[in-house]
Amino acid sequence: MRQSNFRSTQLSRRDLLARVGGVGLAGLLGASPWKAMAATIVELPFVNGRRELVTNFPQKGAMLLQRTRPPLLETPFDVFGHGVFTPNDRFYVRWHLANIPTTIDPATFRLDIRGHVRQPLSLTLDELVDKFEPYEIAAVNQCSGNSRGFFEPRVAGGEWANGAMGNALWKGVRLKDVLDRAGVKAGALQVRFNGLDTGVIPQTPDFMKSLAIDHARDGEVMIAYAMNGEPLPLLNGFPVRLVVPGWYATYWVKMLNDVEVLSAPDDNFWTAKAYTIPDTPFANIVPGQQGVKMIPINRMLPRSFFTNLKDGAVLKVGQATPVRGIAFGGDAALAQVLFSADAGTQWQEARLGPDHGKYSFRQWEVPLRLASRGAHKLMVKAINTAGSAQPDHANWNASGFMRNVIESVSVQAV
Amino acid sequence: MNTSRRNIAPIRAVPVLLGIALAAGLAWPRTTDSQPTAEKRTSGAEHRWTKVSVALPSSENRFPPGKGSEITGQCLICHSAGMVLRQPPLTLDEWVGEINKMRNAFGAPLPADQVAPLAKYLYAINGRHSPGDPPTVDGQGN
Repeated sequence: MRQSNFRSTQLSRRDLLARVGGVGLAGLLGASPWKAMAATIVELPFVNGRRELVTNFPQKGAMLLQRTRPPLLETPFDVFGHGVFTPNDRFYVRWHLANIPTTIDPATFRLDIRGHVRQPLSLTLDELVDKFEPYEIAAVNQCSGNSRGFFEPRVAGGEWANGAMGNALWKGVRLKDVLDRAGVKAGALQVRFNGLDTGVIPQTPDFMKSLAIDHARDGEVMIAYAMNGEPLPLLNGFPVRLVVPGWYATYWVKMLNDVEVLSAPDDNFWTAKAYTIPDTPFANIVPGQQGVKMIPINRMLPRSFFTNLKDGAVLKVGQATPVRGIAFGGDAALAQVLFSADAGTQWQEARLGPDHGKYSFRQWEVPLRLASRGAHKLMVKAINTAGSAQPDHANWNASGFMRNVIESVSVQAV
Repeated sequence: MNTSRRNIAPIRAVPVLLGIALAAGLAWPRTTDSQPTAEKRTSGAEHRWTKVSVALPSSENRFPPGKGSEITGQCLICHSAGMVLRQPPLTLDEWVGEINKMRNAFGAPLPADQVAPLAKYLYAINGRHSPGDPPTVDGQGN
């Protein structure tokens, strides 16, 4: 809901002085009012949703600042209206641990493949590029907690609007090919992925994620060294990151330098305890519900968004207006995008844009002609080829994961 | 990406052109569907690696003054203040839950007797007073 209801304002000095005074805002703007005056402030449509649009992160354009250290940067939603591939310099950023290497030297970097294998490998980047068949796939990378700020009741965490997602053409090598080169031994259960980032203090569990061995060898999971035809920005995982098409981004380990084949279940904190969801449809529970079986988060759900209309848009009665957006099927291809101009009473099928593969964003479009004056609630719903459709009512869980309710915008016809 | 920038100008022309397009059966506005500049290569050999060195900005956020604010120095070991200041208003119990998540899951070196005063401070600067509601803090590390 209301994903595009952003109000972006260049604050004048007078406005700023008029608004400063609340403790929270003073904190947000930092110590230097002169510097803050140049900042663009965006109001995300939920309580305490004021965010700064910042340009001071390396290899990044204007991004919504959710946290400086370790960085959480949201893609401003208007970026998604410019095309189905999210530019690298606008691609959202999410790190768990603050000890992130800021210099990567390809001459010394090694990707280790080890554990329950016949021949451990320590690959240079050139070897990764030259000695394995290249593989490309377009895939959406979406944070498990994308849209958490819209949860009601609210939950703690990264308070994103809908911009903790992006779509890229990933190029690299199949994880299967790399594992085959090392020779996975019988009895392998899982593959654990670790990146160069670590916690600031030794007590903090190192960020690692695991996939089942069959998933790791499915021929789609890959190690990417390019993103939209260019090296990955450091904050998106340079030099290489894991790509797990159709699965939430928590598995897409950045700055990947260690792949360990396990013969026993991974019990590390980030795999076994964090990022679990209720084992219910849409990971949905009632607030306060107890005794629910929890499982690791996994496949993505279908979603769709408006990109050329925002809440409060004014349209002319009887005039044709193209309504556009983007959609994706989650862990399966998009089957249909349905559009309603009457708050969900009647639905029509939207026309879909070029197909870049089952895991990619895809454009949708309908010609809209509103016949009567007044308020109209427009809605959009994606359905994937597995039959999963966006739900009428928002799913809820205590972690703020997997939101995928039908999106809507309210417009006025005059 | 250059492609999307290049496409911005044509996008503005789309509403005008679309009237014509609609009459002609809604031709897809190709300009709005940017292609990445990815090369269609059969080999990855052209990929050239260069050393990357960046500087990450430091946070200018400060916790506002108040009783207990001195304890927040422990929070700043691992993350900047903005993450805390951008949370939704939470009940006192929810703030306690968040602090204990930091201690138990991430090893925050905060003595047990500091939990209550820190929670009171956070509740004072960003509290939600509805004790009847079920807590919505999950204790996970996400």
